[in-house]
Amino acid sequence: MRRKLDQADRAIVERLSRDARVSNREIAEQLGVTEGTVRGRIKRMEEEKLIRLTAVTNIDRFKDAALAYIWIEVERSGQTRAVAARLAGITELGFVGVMLGRADILAITMVRNAEHLAEFIHQRISVVEGVRGTRSTLGVNFIKHDYRMARIVS
Amino acid sequence: MNDLSSPSHAAHIDLDKTDQAIIDLLRQDGRMPYRAIARALDVAENTVRARVRRMEESGTMRVVAVTDIEAAGYDMLLAIGVQVEGRSPEAVARELAAIAEVFSVNLVVGAQDIEILVVAQDQAALNKLISDKLGAIPGVRRLTPALALEVLKNQPDWVPFHAA
Repeated sequence: MRRKLDQADRAIVERLSRDARVSNREIAEQLGVTEGTVRGRIKRMEEEKLIRLTAVTNIDRFKDAALAYIWIEVERSGQTRAVAARLAGITELGFVGVMLGRADILAITMVRNAEHLAEFIHQRISVVEGVRGTRSTLGVNFIKHDYRMARIVS
Repeated sequence: MNDLSSPSHAAHIDLDKTDQAIIDLLRQDGRMPYRAIARALDVAENTVRARVRRMEESGTMRVVAVTDIEAAGYDMLLAIGVQVEGRSPEAVARELAAIAEVFSVNLVVGAQDIEILVVAQDQAALNKLISDKLGAIPGVRRLTPALALEVLKNQPDWVPFHAA
């Protein structure tokens, strides 16, 4: 189980979640702590994979981009984690999780349209060893995604 | 994620190779100094600075802190399908989007009307979230949840900015 952020961490992250390029000095001044404290805490949180400072791009600025949920059933239950690990290696997938209920594995990706999704599943997912079948759902309107939240795994 | 920056999209967003290269570097390290980016791409530091500002101001890219959900205090992550009855799915989706624990909301077509991703601190909090908050929204007919036992990958690099 990962360490939980304490109050001082949270205050720093709150500032970074709006603009991660703000200087340590500015954060330190706002919070009334030393620059060294801010630098040290950010370094530690990054090293422990509690936070990731990264660029995100706005899907609204791209035409024809839809989120696709791919629900995957494996051949035998004992293979689930191995199949999920293989799927996690596919760069186009943004999310891969072992699930309890609905399917064995959920994979999420971005596609241009239904044809693109069908082609992607056929060429990249169905061919993965241990995949028995898939069901997929294509998003028509991406209402919300809070980029401040994710599972940091790599 | 699938590459969406094909020529057909170029007209809409107008990102060139330099912009894309800057985004790629900032995805790896959001705090990479402008000077280091300039050196890596062999362009002037002012160019990098101007490109980043342009992409930020046009709402195309942001450099942000992503917090691990477990570090933030949430030990459970679920993908829940929502079936809607007697109300527009979009109106229900907007109400769902207003709940902090619901971190992703997507209108879909098929057996479900909406797909959401939610987090909860523990089983008791999850129970309350599902019955008292999600299930209580007018128009929500049925919730079909799946619990994530293990997340092997989660890189939400492409997101809508308007509601986040």
